[in-house]
Amino acid sequence: MVVADTIHSKIVNMPDIQTNQLMDPRAESRADPLERDRRVLDLYEQLLEIEQRLIPTGLHVFGRASELSEKADLLRMVASFDRPEHGARALPKLVAEALGIDRYDALLQEASASETRDLIDSIVSEAVRQFCEDGADAAVKWLNSRAGVDCEKSLPVFLLLANIAEQLDSNHEIESLMRALRGEYITPGPGADIVQNPSVLPTGRNTHAINPYAVPSQMAFARAQGTADALLRRYFEEHGRYPRAMALVLWGLDNIKTQGEGVAQALHLLGVRPVRDALNRATEIEVIPLDELKRPRIDVVMTVSGIFRDLFAPTMALLDKAVRRVAALDEPFDMNYVRRNVLEKIEVDGGEFDDAVARVFSNAPGNYGTNVNFMVMQSAWETGDTLGDLFVTRKCFAYTRDSKGRTIEGREARDLMDHALSRVEATYQNIDSFEVGITDVDHYFEYLGGISKAVEKRAQARPAIYLSDSLSPQTKIRSLEETIRLETRAKTLNPKWYEGMLKHGFRGVAEIENHVFNTFGWSATADAVDPWIYTDIAKTFLLDSTMFNRLQELNPYSVRSLTQRLLEAHDRGYWNPDEEILEKLRDLVDNLEDQLEGVV
Amino acid sequence: MKVTVLYVGSSLLAPLKNAEREINRQHGLDLSVATWNFGASFTEEEWRAIEGDLRAAQILFVIHVMDSENATRLLSFLDRSGDRHRAIVVINCMPELMKRTRMGKLDFERLPGISSRKGAKTQSNAKGQSGEGATAQASQAEKATGLLRSVGSWIGRQARGNGGTNGQSKGHGRAQYLKFTNHLPSVLRFIPGAGALRDVKNYLMMFCYFLQPTPANIRSMLLYALKHYVDDERVGKIKIPPPESMPAVAIYHPDAPALFESFASYETWYKKRGSKFKDQSSKINRKPLNPNSTIGLLLMRPQIVSNARKHYDGLIRAIEAEGLSVIPAISTLMDNREACGKFFIETKSKARRPKSDGRHSKASDNGQLTTDSKPRVSQIVSLTGFSFVGGPAMNDSEAAAEFLTRLNVPFRSMVSLDTQTIESWQESFSGLNPIQTGMQIAIPEIDGATEPFVFGGIPARGVEPAPLEDRCRRIARRLKRWHRLQTGPRDQLKLALTLYCFPPNKGNIGTAADLDVFASLFDVLNRIKQEGYRVEVPESVDALREMLLGGNSEGLGTTANVASRMGVDEYRRLCPFISEIEAEWGPAPGAINSFGGDLLIQGITIGNVFIGVQPTFGFEDDPMRLLMAKGGTPHHGFAAFYTYLEKVFQADVVVHVGTHGALEFMPGKQVGLSDACWPDRLIGELPNVYIYSVNNPSEGTIAKRRSYAGLISYLTPPIENAGLYQGLASLKEMIGNYRRATVETDREQLFAAIQQHSRELNFSLSETEEIALGARTSRPHRLGGETVSSS
Repeated sequence: MVVADTIHSKIVNMPDIQTNQLMDPRAESRADPLERDRRVLDLYEQLLEIEQRLIPTGLHVFGRASELSEKADLLRMVASFDRPEHGARALPKLVAEALGIDRYDALLQEASASETRDLIDSIVSEAVRQFCEDGADAAVKWLNSRAGVDCEKSLPVFLLLANIAEQLDSNHEIESLMRALRGEYITPGPGADIVQNPSVLPTGRNTHAINPYAVPSQMAFARAQGTADALLRRYFEEHGRYPRAMALVLWGLDNIKTQGEGVAQALHLLGVRPVRDALNRATEIEVIPLDELKRPRIDVVMTVSGIFRDLFAPTMALLDKAVRRVAALDEPFDMNYVRRNVLEKIEVDGGEFDDAVARVFSNAPGNYGTNVNFMVMQSAWETGDTLGDLFVTRKCFAYTRDSKGRTIEGREARDLMDHALSRVEATYQNIDSFEVGITDVDHYFEYLGGISKAVEKRAQARPAIYLSDSLSPQTKIRSLEETIRLETRAKTLNPKWYEGMLKHGFRGVAEIENHVFNTFGWSATADAVDPWIYTDIAKTFLLDSTMFNRLQELNPYSVRSLTQRLLEAHDRGYWNPDEEILEKLRDLVDNLEDQLEGVV
Repeated sequence: MKVTVLYVGSSLLAPLKNAEREINRQHGLDLSVATWNFGASFTEEEWRAIEGDLRAAQILFVIHVMDSENATRLLSFLDRSGDRHRAIVVINCMPELMKRTRMGKLDFERLPGISSRKGAKTQSNAKGQSGEGATAQASQAEKATGLLRSVGSWIGRQARGNGGTNGQSKGHGRAQYLKFTNHLPSVLRFIPGAGALRDVKNYLMMFCYFLQPTPANIRSMLLYALKHYVDDERVGKIKIPPPESMPAVAIYHPDAPALFESFASYETWYKKRGSKFKDQSSKINRKPLNPNSTIGLLLMRPQIVSNARKHYDGLIRAIEAEGLSVIPAISTLMDNREACGKFFIETKSKARRPKSDGRHSKASDNGQLTTDSKPRVSQIVSLTGFSFVGGPAMNDSEAAAEFLTRLNVPFRSMVSLDTQTIESWQESFSGLNPIQTGMQIAIPEIDGATEPFVFGGIPARGVEPAPLEDRCRRIARRLKRWHRLQTGPRDQLKLALTLYCFPPNKGNIGTAADLDVFASLFDVLNRIKQEGYRVEVPESVDALREMLLGGNSEGLGTTANVASRMGVDEYRRLCPFISEIEAEWGPAPGAINSFGGDLLIQGITIGNVFIGVQPTFGFEDDPMRLLMAKGGTPHHGFAAFYTYLEKVFQADVVVHVGTHGALEFMPGKQVGLSDACWPDRLIGELPNVYIYSVNNPSEGTIAKRRSYAGLISYLTPPIENAGLYQGLASLKEMIGNYRRATVETDREQLFAAIQQHSRELNFSLSETEEIALGARTSRPHRLGGETVSSS
């Protein structure tokens, strides 16, 4: 099609797309100074990414004020977002404006570190440092003299920071618990990361969800467009075309916290936007015309968590409606992948439109979770396919209308899900949090890993797996492998992280073990963990005798599980270290077992 | 003659059916009234029947329809059907539907301002001018159309006001409502019933009847429509009484002969009634209306006025059967603060004043809490199913939370099935349908409401709401349990604290996201001791943990100390669901959490405090269960644990410590649970407080809805920049040197060193390349695939 070709060529010619020079195997040996600089800069960018990533550095003790010794990092991140509800704008933007730099947003998206960005960052950092030392007025004055930022504009930012700092220094959780035990009213409050929504402070409140009809909010849709475009751009760069279909994981968690960014991303991939009805509820959708969309409509298979299903039933209906509307558009196949996949399915298998168009899948009503995490935990699987099949078994309940127009509350539709997944070439999940990352909990691998494994068998190819970093001023799309490396370097292997955990003794060791298990989960479901990661884990926690003794002293049970898990990684072929390392690990397990069994 | 009424809610059906019968009996007509609850979603078959009723109707009423799905379909039908109907009367619906009102010469679509802000403004201008020398007639006309605009755009304006920062728009709906109910009838008297304003007046008359939906008024509303819009001499002569008026707020009681407009008159009646009961039942409260044992109920006005209130009666009686008193207040629906202020709050100054009729409001009547005011109730239960401030089309949760925080009594919001029948709820795997869940669960939660029970609804074959007896009993008993927590002697109250251990091995005791559970627990124990609860606090955090980890656990092969062994006979006696569990997990005690034929309850008892370890789902002992698409029941050990808490240890409250456990994920309906749902069965009547991470509002909400937990949020851990360490730090330094170096040979050397070092860190340049190249080079990717795969 002419339209499609033009659009493709436009994208290929976009200036910010990597050119082929990096693919040239001779590049390294040639050592062209420019190319060399470019490579060093790339590496530098990656280091910065690790260095500046926010990580939890300990655990919370209920009722105690934050043990954050250094608030500057957190406050700087809070200040890097516009906060219209507090009348505060992002500090870097204010600085950029005052310095006469326009296009700060564009600057953020640029791949390489720029001096301008460094300059802005350093001014912001210094201002926040001044705030921490001398308070809001000092920071406001300093910013004005250093960068000419209007005092009136920066003051609301620092007032917000002052409020957060104060809240972090006090804590009413135990008091609230006592109130609850006395049968008093507990004031409600929102739930989110602090950076995302500082109004979660003070804690000790009765956390609530949101009105499902408010999802997605306008802001969520605006942000989602950027993220979804970046996602498609990345796929296009790597594959030279768009994915025929994508599988998205939608959770209640991020969609509450972001007012529906994940939902909005799905809608944008389909090429539709939500429309509010007269009561301001997102109950309708509007098709974005192709000449405005300038790319094909991507087929999207949505696996929603049981929690999302419970909290966002009207949103599920909206998503189902969107797919149906798009599938019914009279558009060429190469610009409307939904229509193509749906009509091909009907042509080949027969069956009805209402079946072929099912794209919203979840658990059976009243059931939750994929059980993939439990199966991995118990080492109770043979091959990866077992895990992928389990995912489908648990998640193949279609939430859509039937041909009679009835809303069906989850009908088992394994064939439909199998088929929908057979077209998938990329899987994706929106990550909205610094506090909960993909190796912090087992739910990420059970979902994104689980569906990727299910796709691998059904599409007969491993999908490209992506994650976004939506709680970040700049939109970042990373492959799963990149994300695991980043999380491992920023957290699991980082002394700042594990020493923070170990301050909590027994529980801290369990947290380390938990991270290793969750990392292992990504091997099991997605073969996405570099072997060096296991080697470094072994070296850091087990082969270093001082560290090992500390851990063993604090929590021998978790050390045993950790060691066994590493050996399992080897047994299952995810990791093939020197025999020496393996020997050592086996010895450790033997000794631990003697110690623990010996207690009897 | 045929009238079709499309409505939403549970209060209209009975009065409509009653009106049909009465009109035919009194006036010898052949009126048929077709009714459809438009809150539900319909099948194609049902739509065909609806369209049949629409086609056959001479007069069509559309009331309270907000659902866009059904509205869209209705609108398209109206587009197709042209001027078939004699009159279409749309009341309090979404703006697109409001515009479809057609009565004689009145056409809302041509009435400016029905769905825009401008209209509201025009209206106030019109009012402002009315006194300034315009002729009386013109003034009447302006006033009448102004009112009409105001009535017609009411819901739309409320919706737009929702979430706005404009404080004015927030109070608007309530003020408007009071204005309508209080002043509309008197204004209407001066509007001529003939001429240009005839249809305007007719609409407003019917609206007046509707605003006070007593059975007589609903009958009059139908008759009024028939009389003015159906050509039939039989109806032409019928005399229709003026609208009956009912107070805007009042206290209702099923045993009382009439509504009470003041608390004083209710109090007098209630106490007199109480004295009659003394010898009949020992459970009836000996101190009626003692604020410590009185439950404030908020009722929907239309249900009371329409006499569609058996579900309310059922719940009221269930609460009284527990020995608690009630103040059931009917509220204006838009803002419950008024009814609360008037009936649930005692102000000293007011008590001394002579009794007023309550019409002229005092400070407290507006819901203002002053320092010398105190609540007359110890818990508030809203049965309106809507937000505390704002009503169906908007919510001002900030105002609600502020009011309730100052009043400081727990707030519960219960739901009656307004858009589905009792049977459809019972059969549903999901429970309450999405429309009601969104509006009547999610929004009250933002006001701080907890324990969302379904308590009544209309049976498939009925026209009137009925209580769900077992749900009412459960609500009442839970209120009673909370009452004990509020009033019981501290040193006798028993607290159960529940921990998790996942995956189940000793290393994981005290699993919770981001929380140092034992350190937290230790602080909590010390605090509750200070508060006067009886607890023996171990000397240190480590000692506490050792008590749980050690004890008799090694001998019994458990992860934690076993506090109690429950014999199968005892379990069988105490757990009424055992046969269902046996059908799934085999005979008790089963393999999980059992030893020597007993079920093991893991935990420790220190004084009146039990610290227990919640059993897991039980997959680890039976991996085949993982493969099941749907779960059926918890295992014996899980059921025994909660049976122990409630019936053996006899806890007064359970505190779940940290995010998160398994109870709330047990099989059952999603929301609006029945007595067949496992979380409901397991938590039973036990008050549930849940310490929960503030960054997890989603799973927390599941706990709130399915296990009736009140959440207490906890802070997430400190977060800081990761920084660089060890090799990564030196790599950054080398890069810095490289960037600063100016001599080409130095740069070459430094580059080689960087390359070398980054490879050692498994962070080689090739990784950078891979990022740029992506999956294309690292993994073969199937590029074909235009054929449908056979799998």
